[in-house]
Amino acid sequence: MALNIGADDLVENPTPRVPVTLCLDTSGSMMGEKIRELVEGVNLFYNAIDEDDDAHDAAEVSIVEFNSAASLIQDFASIERLDRIDAINATGGTALGEGVNLALDTLEKRKSTYSNAGVLYYQPWLVLMTDGQPNGSSAELERAIGRVTDLVAQKKLTVFPIGIGSDADMSVLERFSPNRPPLRLRGMSFKEFFEWLSKSVSRVSRSTPGDAVKLDLEGLAGWAEL
Amino acid sequence: MFNEFHYQVRGRGHEQDGTRGQDRTGHVSRGGVQALCLADGAGSAAQSELGAQAVVDEGCALLVEGFAPFVTAEDAEQARRNILERLHDRLDEVAERNGCTRVDLASTFLAVAATNDKFIVAHIGDGVIGYVRNGKLLVVSAPDNAEFANQTTFVTSPDAATSIRLFRGSMEGVAGFVLMSDGASASLYDFRAKTLAPACAKLIDVVRNAPTRQVQNPSYKKHLRRLVDTKLRLATKDDCAIGILGRRP
Repeated sequence: MALNIGADDLVENPTPRVPVTLCLDTSGSMMGEKIRELVEGVNLFYNAIDEDDDAHDAAEVSIVEFNSAASLIQDFASIERLDRIDAINATGGTALGEGVNLALDTLEKRKSTYSNAGVLYYQPWLVLMTDGQPNGSSAELERAIGRVTDLVAQKKLTVFPIGIGSDADMSVLERFSPNRPPLRLRGMSFKEFFEWLSKSVSRVSRSTPGDAVKLDLEGLAGWAEL
Repeated sequence: MFNEFHYQVRGRGHEQDGTRGQDRTGHVSRGGVQALCLADGAGSAAQSELGAQAVVDEGCALLVEGFAPFVTAEDAEQARRNILERLHDRLDEVAERNGCTRVDLASTFLAVAATNDKFIVAHIGDGVIGYVRNGKLLVVSAPDNAEFANQTTFVTSPDAATSIRLFRGSMEGVAGFVLMSDGASASLYDFRAKTLAPACAKLIDVVRNAPTRQVQNPSYKKHLRRLVDTKLRLATKDDCAIGILGRRP
């Protein structure tokens, strides 16, 4: 008996997405080499995702910057649609709470888009990078900490708080991550961090139901303080 | 009665990792009842392929033995508990024999059992169960993926008793059933429209119209295995499993 199954008889579902939001401190203290290295690290992250078969179709990245205010400088997009960054202007204060709240709002909006379009997605990731102490609204900061810790407790968000340099306020970053201590970058190891991040995104995008995705946190030890 | 086809193939991801496939399927025909079961072992569970085989074997046995009470029972909660207890008991035996825990044997569970008059369907976790009724291809039970793509409920999950979906009905107008694992659903189930791919109706048709004479390796099964080995397997890195009951015309 002939079995005549053509392409029209089958379905091509969209690849399940891994939403990653980078919430970056672009305050005045980041000016100079720090911001240049950070931009280079983000571009390297894009390139690594682009070259990885699994992460290429799955990863979607957004970028929120915070200085005296917060703004979305890159809405969620797949790697094909992400323009490499030339430069980011570092200026002003450190409205960290406002930045995290905007990042979470953007994530929620993206998750709604996925759900409405029937696109499956993995647990979103929030990467929070700062080199100083927050000096925005304290109410916004507390609200951001509350939202992040609630989502982490419900296993609806993976958060990576990263302190850049010796002036980063690790005690505030610690409040964002009750389960995993924040990392302090040794020197300006942005490149190593973003390489690790792209590999981790790839690992998640290969996972299937029931897989416990183990992030290679020991791999970070060489260049960051855990 | 029914012709059957069931088959599983190791996914490309497991092949790359050098790990065993974790999907299993099984079929039992006894006393006028045919039962077809499928299980997809959890990636995080150490010996989930053993668990998947155990729930497939036990599920088939339970459904052929207990078919009559299941199709008439009024207490659905009790039926859910009975199914889960029986699967758990079997998993505990396997766990003891293999020096592991029940959780190490986690898998999904998809099952259909039918006579000429009635059918029952049970489903825990992801994967899809569909059927053709009065010429229409319909979803009986859709994937239970919680919020995230890599999350689902397993037979061993604490909320399995409340997550198990039970259906039963008359066989009037039913041409056949299709069961598929998460991997196979990548090609056979539209996650956006929540509908089955047209191929499912064709597959059921091929199985139900297959020659009934007994041969060792019927050609329709060879064609179906080839489809799973090629088109379905290449569309995903996950294992692929499929089970079909086709009612003879």
